[in-house]
Amino acid sequence: MDGVKVAEIPDIKVDPVTLDIIEGALKSARFEMDATLFRTAMSPVIREQHDEFPMITDPQGRMVVGQFGSYIGEMLQTIDEPIVEGDVILTSDPYKCGGAISHINDWLVCLPIFWEEELIGWASMFGHQMDAGGPLPGSLPTGAKTVFGEGLRIPPVKLFRKGEPNRDVFDLILNNVRQPEMNRADLMGIVAGCRTGEKRVHELCGRFGKGTYLAACQALLDRTYNAMAKLILAAIPEEPQSFEDWVDDDGLGHGPYKMKLTIWREGEHAYFDWSGTDPQAMGPVNFYLSEAMFKMFIGVYLIMVFDPQILFNDGFYPLLHIVIPDGSLLHPKFPSALGCRTHALTRLFDILGGALARKSPEHTTAAGYGTSPYMLYSGWDRGGEFYYLMEISYGGIPGRPIGDGMDGHSWWPLFQNIPTEYLEAYYPVRIDGYTTIEDSGGAGFHRGGNGIEKRYVYLEPGEVSIHDDRWLTYPWGILGGMPGSRSEKILVRTDGTRERLPSKCDEVQVQPGDMLVYRTAGGGGWKDPLDRPVEQVEADVAKGLVSEDKAYEDYGVVVGDREATERHREHLRTKRGEVKDFDLGPELDDILHRAKEETGLEPPRAPEPLPWAPMESPEDAMRRVREVGDRQMTQTE
Amino acid sequence: MAYRLGVDVGGTFTDLLLVHDESGAMYRVKTPSTPADPSEGVLVGVRRICAESSVAPGDLAHVQHGTTVATNAMLEAKGARVGLITTQGFKQILHLARSQTPGPLAGWIIMQKPDPPAALEDTREARERMSAQGEAIESVDRDQVQEIVRDLVESGVETLTVSLINSYANAEHEREIRGLIHGAYPDFPVTISSDVLPEFREYERTLTACLNSYVRPRVEAYVRHLDSSLKESGVAGELNLLRSDAGLMTTDVASENPIYGILSGPAGGVAGALHVASRAGFDNILTFDMGGTSTDVALCENGQVTIERQTEVPYGWGLPGEVIPIKVPSVNVRSVGAGGGSIAHVPEVTGALRVGPQSAGADPGPACYGKGGVEPTVTDANVIVGHLPPQLLGGEMPLDIEAARTAVKKIGDALGLDVEQAAEGILDIVNENMAGALRLVSVQRGYDPRDFALVAFGGAGPMHANAVAKVMGSFPVLVPPAPGLLCATGDLVADFRGEFARTFIRTIDRTTGDELRTILDGLGEEAREWLKGEGIPESSQRVAFNVDMRYYRQGYEIPVDIDPALLAGNGTAMLADRFNQLHEQFYRFRMDETTCEIVNLRAIGYGDVPKPRLLEVEETAGQDSAHAVVDEHEVYFGGEWLPTKIYDRSALQPGNRVEGPAVITEFDSTTVVLAGYAAEVDRYLNLIINPALG
Repeated sequence: MDGVKVAEIPDIKVDPVTLDIIEGALKSARFEMDATLFRTAMSPVIREQHDEFPMITDPQGRMVVGQFGSYIGEMLQTIDEPIVEGDVILTSDPYKCGGAISHINDWLVCLPIFWEEELIGWASMFGHQMDAGGPLPGSLPTGAKTVFGEGLRIPPVKLFRKGEPNRDVFDLILNNVRQPEMNRADLMGIVAGCRTGEKRVHELCGRFGKGTYLAACQALLDRTYNAMAKLILAAIPEEPQSFEDWVDDDGLGHGPYKMKLTIWREGEHAYFDWSGTDPQAMGPVNFYLSEAMFKMFIGVYLIMVFDPQILFNDGFYPLLHIVIPDGSLLHPKFPSALGCRTHALTRLFDILGGALARKSPEHTTAAGYGTSPYMLYSGWDRGGEFYYLMEISYGGIPGRPIGDGMDGHSWWPLFQNIPTEYLEAYYPVRIDGYTTIEDSGGAGFHRGGNGIEKRYVYLEPGEVSIHDDRWLTYPWGILGGMPGSRSEKILVRTDGTRERLPSKCDEVQVQPGDMLVYRTAGGGGWKDPLDRPVEQVEADVAKGLVSEDKAYEDYGVVVGDREATERHREHLRTKRGEVKDFDLGPELDDILHRAKEETGLEPPRAPEPLPWAPMESPEDAMRRVREVGDRQMTQTE
Repeated sequence: MAYRLGVDVGGTFTDLLLVHDESGAMYRVKTPSTPADPSEGVLVGVRRICAESSVAPGDLAHVQHGTTVATNAMLEAKGARVGLITTQGFKQILHLARSQTPGPLAGWIIMQKPDPPAALEDTREARERMSAQGEAIESVDRDQVQEIVRDLVESGVETLTVSLINSYANAEHEREIRGLIHGAYPDFPVTISSDVLPEFREYERTLTACLNSYVRPRVEAYVRHLDSSLKESGVAGELNLLRSDAGLMTTDVASENPIYGILSGPAGGVAGALHVASRAGFDNILTFDMGGTSTDVALCENGQVTIERQTEVPYGWGLPGEVIPIKVPSVNVRSVGAGGGSIAHVPEVTGALRVGPQSAGADPGPACYGKGGVEPTVTDANVIVGHLPPQLLGGEMPLDIEAARTAVKKIGDALGLDVEQAAEGILDIVNENMAGALRLVSVQRGYDPRDFALVAFGGAGPMHANAVAKVMGSFPVLVPPAPGLLCATGDLVADFRGEFARTFIRTIDRTTGDELRTILDGLGEEAREWLKGEGIPESSQRVAFNVDMRYYRQGYEIPVDIDPALLAGNGTAMLADRFNQLHEQFYRFRMDETTCEIVNLRAIGYGDVPKPRLLEVEETAGQDSAHAVVDEHEVYFGGEWLPTKIYDRSALQPGNRVEGPAVITEFDSTTVVLAGYAAEVDRYLNLIINPALG
């Protein structure tokens, strides 16, 4: 960063109380950034559903609070003018920020924070845009084969220079999206959120002095480093442990794609190796996984149980080493399509939990609904007005050590559904029903959550897109817990005919009165359902969350008859034998063989590697990490 | 001779304040609260205050009362069993709870989900459907509804809620179903959502309506019982209750829609603090009410309480920090789980110092209470540093310093600090947590806290106020005499308040100033009719108007105050302009080219009641306060022990000045003045703390 004076972090000791005060202030600053955006954004995806992520960094761009990785360095690579106070940088290109954002829908804004003419940090935030141009509303075509087929790709540019809006850039961008007013409001909300973060950091410097503030940032980074070092010793085995799971298909009929993770530790350093993962897909289900982002995921996952009030930051990153072969599903080569990366992104957590479970099974959860199911609906109404709705759905949360998985809840933090009354007031749609699906949660001592059924009745002619997964493979149960149900989509035409729709599809023509029955997957169960207290099973039956049949078959409960229950449970225990550590449902070959019969959909074809994107060998990937350390920069063009 | 009585029922004491409307003569009584049946304590107090003032109960023209009965029902999870009737297809509306799990990422792993106020087993679906435009798509299936009503009532639910999709646009189906219920069960308590909250977003409306049902039987029984007992004691006047927005409501409204009074208690505190502060010359204040388990804060500007459309209320089940959003107009009180009983701990993995949200509560309480508590609390820290003298004036309970030190030592050991440093650290952290709540109501709403005075009350407020004001830059700190009295004052200064609203979702280019004015005038007429019905003379009636606005398709509205007369002609442009200004104030940007949207139109009727005059003393005494010193001891401050005088507040006279460090004690409260600050006593016996100059 030429011409910018980056503040040095002084080597002074901050007393523990001041440190905790600065920690608390940064944490509330982060929530204030959220609140600013929610209240000003226009698209329901940000405003109602909260698909956005904030962060504040230290002068070197290391995240001191937030929940995504560091990328400031990468972002600045292509900016060839000095960074000054009042600048605001925007990008939507995953390939130009080291994967900090992983599809072009996420618009990432960052602004430098100056104090006494030195750069002391960055405030940054990204939010999912309902539309980012390209051939289809939503900019996530399930048939895209390259990123050029998805939509507008904004390289890092100055959206504001010295506080003045760069009107040419605004005009260029907003000319390429379908609802410019909405993008403008969301973008301005993101900038306002970042400015809120900046303001709070200024207050901290004013109150404690720049030196103390910066030293506190360092101390907070150190604190997570030390905490994580302890957790690695406790949670990661020295003996390598592997776990694998699947993304069902790529939207173009190929699949399923294997994702495999092997973890081990060497001293207090931990290795997370994705070798064995399938090569990248032709369709847009590739997930350009940032190493930093993945480290943050690991950290959050490990630490949540021990001190949930901790401030998440980058501090522990040097302890983790990530191996991702180039050209794999998790590190596709430019210009691979990335739009629908949400399936692999979510599966990653299932796999991470599965791999960690080998060492401390009591602390890990089963698998959940396993994606971010989207429904998109657009067209021109009878008055000639363009309408476009995108909604994120949720499903069954996994059975957990602390209790049952929630029914029809969000796996993503702080996300919410869109109120039915909002949908019906602003879009030509009526919701016929919105409920969780009886019996869809996997049985367990702690039950997996039920999936969601939402029934959309369309009131205008239009086109529908669907993005979902787990229609083929099952959300697994753990330690005796059983798998949750799979997802499905049924289009009921006005004449009563029913069509099965694929879990990923675009441009489905609908007419007024057609109804889409959108069902998401359930969560897997945790531990043995035959040990679940009878009164809890009976309560679930009374609530309509579990049927009497399932209570009998999976839980061994004869509702209202304790003696018969005891006998039946004993019978089931004998018949079943030892419980499995993981219950992934039937063998994959069986699943594929029976796909047509069970789901009404053709099974996907085995994927073939793309000739233009050969995959790095596991050995080369490992050598790269051992020799040059984690890849923070990726040359892709 | 017309007298007016204010009654505040707190956790420990019930405070009564009696004022003569014409002369302003005042009497006060403090009596122990009776939690099992709070009305007993009230009646004891009424008899005492009448006896002591020689006022006949028949001369009490008005009784104004703030109560926490509804709040406690929620906190203790002791509400009614609620039956819920929804639109077909939406039975699981409360079960789904907007699908939200807490942050950060993976927060769902440790989420504990509170039970909803109406159980899924007690929820039924009605066959009917209304469109978003308010047209009946499917009429109510009366036979089916009668069947589910019978089913619910016979299963033993105690109250019923009807909340149907799009009832904000047309309430006809909800009313029809209420009619069917009353046809079969004439006196059965029914809440329909469009009555309680005629606004869109079905989850929030259903939840608010169900919570209304949840607290209703308990509040209704209490209000009816108190009302009849007062009448039996010969009290002639009307009993009225304080609403969450610090207005008054009648016993009928309070019995039917008790959710309007969910923050009745805190609202009285805020209104009282504002009244006292305004008299002392401070119209812009932050209120700071710190108790044992939580702290309530609010912002008042230009001598007015700030009203919000939504509030958050703690919701039982022993989950610390759990709050539930309730959409009723409320004083903008924010509550944090930080109080005298908050427990400090150091998680092993991170070695950070955390205070709360767990609380030692009243039992066993802080370690220094000697009732078996061993966890280090904020109160223990206050004892160790000397903010809370071991021999409290009038305090019957001696404090166990050694127990406090043993408890706090655990924190010191974990952090490598000595006991005093650890205690000071606990206080710094808890003060910061409370400052965080004050930021929510000030900076986050675009206000600069340095423009506000901090008014402290509650058991622990005056002890922490100086330190919190130091963090916020909010001076002076004002500590009124006797915190309990403050809430009773708030009850007394309240005016009647009733809202008349209509949801009218329309972009501004699709309506005219004249159209808006016609609707608002109609709502204003309803407000005046209501005030007339309440027996408010015309000279005491006021009607104010506001319009909830947002940019088209934004999710949150900003209420814009307006005078309907200004809407004539080009009035909508004026509306848009005011909205743009407010948006810029709150969020630091505006979008002049984006269309504005109107969401709700509202008239608010006020019936003014005479205000009591506060006790006022001529400024005769000098600055010297030596006569009030009762003891000397040491206070730990910034790493050293400072000699510190202890003052008896009741001996302090207007004009007296107390230099910090100092501890000022009174019957139910202790005020700490830090080194570098000084307190002066004003004409109303408030302590006014400012940085000491020179």
